[in-house]
Amino acid sequence: MSELLLKNARIVDPARNIDEIGDIAVADGVIVEAASLKSPEVIDLTGKVLSPGFIDVHVHLRQPGNTTAETIASGTAAAAAGGFTSIVAMPNTNPSADTAGAIEYLRRIADEQGMVKVLPCGNMTKGGKGEEMAGIGSLKNAGVVALSDDGKCIQDHGLMRHVVEYAKSFNLPILDHCEETTLASGGVMNEGKWSVLLGMNGIPGASEELIIARNIIFARQINWKIHMQHVSTKDSVDMLRRARAKGVPVTGEATPHHLSLTDECVKKFDTNYKMNPPLRSEEDRQALIQGIADGTITVIATDHAPHTQTAKLVEFDHAPFGIIGLETALPVCFTQLVVPGIITIPQLISKFTTGPADVLGLENYSLSIGNPADITVFDPEAKYTVDKNTFRSKARNTPFDGMKVQGRINLTVVDGKIVFREGC
Amino acid sequence: MNSYVQLFDAEQMMTKIRELAVQIADQFANSGRELALVGIHQLGVPLARLLHEELNKLGIKTEFGMLDITMYRDDIGTRNLLPMIHETVIPFDVDDRIIILVDDVLSSGRTIRAALDALTDYGRPGLIRLAVLVDRGEPEFPIRADFVGFEVSLPAERKVLVNFETVDNVAAGIYDVNWQK
Amino acid sequence: MQWKRKDLLGLYDLSAEEITFILDTAAEFKKVSERRVKKVPALRGMTVVNFFVEPSTRTRVSFELAEQRLSADIVNMQAQASSLLKGETLLDTVKNIEALQVDLVVMRHSATGAQNFIADRLKCGVINAGDGAHEHPTQGLLDLFTIREKKGGFKGLNVSIIGDILHSRVARSNIWGLLKLGANVTVAGPSTLVPREFEEIGVRVCHNLKDAVVNADVVNLLRIQHERQNNGFFPGIGEYSSHFGLKAATLDMMKPDALIMHPGPINRDVELAGEVADGPNSVILEQVTNGLAVRMAVLFLVAGCRK
Repeated sequence: MSELLLKNARIVDPARNIDEIGDIAVADGVIVEAASLKSPEVIDLTGKVLSPGFIDVHVHLRQPGNTTAETIASGTAAAAAGGFTSIVAMPNTNPSADTAGAIEYLRRIADEQGMVKVLPCGNMTKGGKGEEMAGIGSLKNAGVVALSDDGKCIQDHGLMRHVVEYAKSFNLPILDHCEETTLASGGVMNEGKWSVLLGMNGIPGASEELIIARNIIFARQINWKIHMQHVSTKDSVDMLRRARAKGVPVTGEATPHHLSLTDECVKKFDTNYKMNPPLRSEEDRQALIQGIADGTITVIATDHAPHTQTAKLVEFDHAPFGIIGLETALPVCFTQLVVPGIITIPQLISKFTTGPADVLGLENYSLSIGNPADITVFDPEAKYTVDKNTFRSKARNTPFDGMKVQGRINLTVVDGKIVFREGC
Repeated sequence: MNSYVQLFDAEQMMTKIRELAVQIADQFANSGRELALVGIHQLGVPLARLLHEELNKLGIKTEFGMLDITMYRDDIGTRNLLPMIHETVIPFDVDDRIIILVDDVLSSGRTIRAALDALTDYGRPGLIRLAVLVDRGEPEFPIRADFVGFEVSLPAERKVLVNFETVDNVAAGIYDVNWQK
Repeated sequence: MQWKRKDLLGLYDLSAEEITFILDTAAEFKKVSERRVKKVPALRGMTVVNFFVEPSTRTRVSFELAEQRLSADIVNMQAQASSLLKGETLLDTVKNIEALQVDLVVMRHSATGAQNFIADRLKCGVINAGDGAHEHPTQGLLDLFTIREKKGGFKGLNVSIIGDILHSRVARSNIWGLLKLGANVTVAGPSTLVPREFEEIGVRVCHNLKDAVVNADVVNLLRIQHERQNNGFFPGIGEYSSHFGLKAATLDMMKPDALIMHPGPINRDVELAGEVADGPNSVILEQVTNGLAVRMAVLFLVAGCRK
């Protein structure tokens, strides 16, 4: 097996509170003592930041069902290029990942073609329809790490309560897409000043906040982990902050786009600004940034949602929700959060590593000796312009094309194997 | 810089305008039909106004109108012209009247072609004649002026400029302008 | 100034100078319709497609007549008759139209921004004849034209727009135009249909008819859509009418020379009493006449600037 010696990097390992210049040694897919290496490939990483591999808990791979937009192969290649060594695959494929068979299919293809680790997520309800509970026990046996009906939200609170109870008994965290549908119905963008000025149907923040409140109540009463996907409003952040202060086992994620863009962008009528939850107001965006800075939001996740150009090149009202994000996550967040000094590099890295690991219940997610060698390296000084035509993803539906960014992924290592390398 | 070569000064110009008024008067004063002067925007309008005043001084009553021919041009949408319409005022009945169309310079004849179309959409004039201050002598259409002030022969790329008053420090008069891009 | 846009998508995009330029041009075109020969050859040889992906009678007839009076050749396409329903995308449909060497597309669409989306991707000119609840620029311009003709100008003029502002593209085009030209704008109606967010752009928001009309120089009433009642925005047409319908008695508390406007079609005795619609303050039919002039001006300017 190959050996790697990653030299002179700034090693940032949030789980062990390490931030120092040093070397990391890899042999047989795990992290080892440097002294034990015999003839390693040496990579000099002077000036670069090295950390545990990034985890994205929110990715749509579109296989099976819409492989024109993305496949497990292309999606994991995009993940590797974005510095992610593990990704959680959302179950809203076609057919849905609501059976053990579907999970086995995902694991087999990911094993054969995947560039990074694909962690399966199963549906909470059959078909993600919010009507009948899925076979959660058999999903667990098939290897799911979490449950979600992402893209949809269980509206029947009685059913949701049962799902949370049942998931707890199988030790499966819930990743919930928080959306009350009578309020959101027909909406295509944030309800607020810009929806009013543009004459578009709005999705009010209350649609998300009602379900966040519900989930906090269930998480407290049942004492089980509920993770709020793509938190987007100020009131959501406030509720999450209060609940976490009281010890309720809830977590939340923010996406790079909600941290960097607002609903004013919609005035360009570019469907790459259409996603759900929608881009919110500047006040909401600032509240999300505050939530990231004060630790209320522990996870940055991309909600990587590939769509074909054909699907997106339509009237705004008729376009599907969602944008891709794996290959722009680090540079966008670094530019938005670290460059202006809102958070430090170790804080940012924690949102991509220990934060998501904690949601999934992964113990000791660090660069400790003996751990799997999942490693991400980026250059904190590199400045470049995002060019969607360089993406590994099959999809091009990004609002960040042409954006000037700072922070570039140089190296991604999964189980000791280099899956992406550029500029080092 | 555009270079301006004066062809005629203000006094020569005004003398010529008076002569034109006399010619028009000689021909139509005793025709027994009503006479109207219609200036074509932009510089046909001040010329028509001057002729109107001169004819009044000669004791001949004429009506006065302004015509914008932009809606009748043959080059809309070719980008040579970005649309800009001036006010058309024809405050009299056109039918059966003698109408003297007035423009500063007769060049290609296309403006006159458009003006004839425009004018006839207002009614059915009895007679239309054309008066110009400068005739460049090489029309692209079979159109000739009936009353001509000056005949000027210049290469096509040169422009004849008529200033009825001082404009941008260029005194009143008639100029040969060499356009510098 | 000179006109330099190949499209007219909304009044939000235009400067006060551009709006005034259109109104000035329209004044000349209004005279054309008053002549015996109501036609000019300005768009002779040009082809205009009226592409309506949402039903319309009035706006389409007005545009058609405007195009005919400019001597354009006209093709009418309706969504029902087109291939849109067969699964072809809007972009493919309009690219096909453009491939037929069309000069201008006049388009109405139920989706906000559809015309902006199309205009960015076509060489030919696009005129918005109404998109979703976003803009209806020619309606806005004809309202402005009518107000200017009657009141002489906009500075300090109090204009109240009453009705379902939330779902109204007419309201939005009026608001942008009026604000740019210096008028004071009030929007009024049930609180569910008149979002407070309009205050953020300097529009007065009120939910009381008397408040809205007392100082108004112009009152523009919008058609109330019956289906809004089904969506729970207000209890019923009767209640709407009793609180926000403009009646003969309402005129008594208004300025005697206030203008009554309505984009049509009127729900008589719902948002506007029939006797007021037909009364001396009403300029509703003049709006229709002016609409023709404004659309001729817009077609002419945009055609003169294509590519």
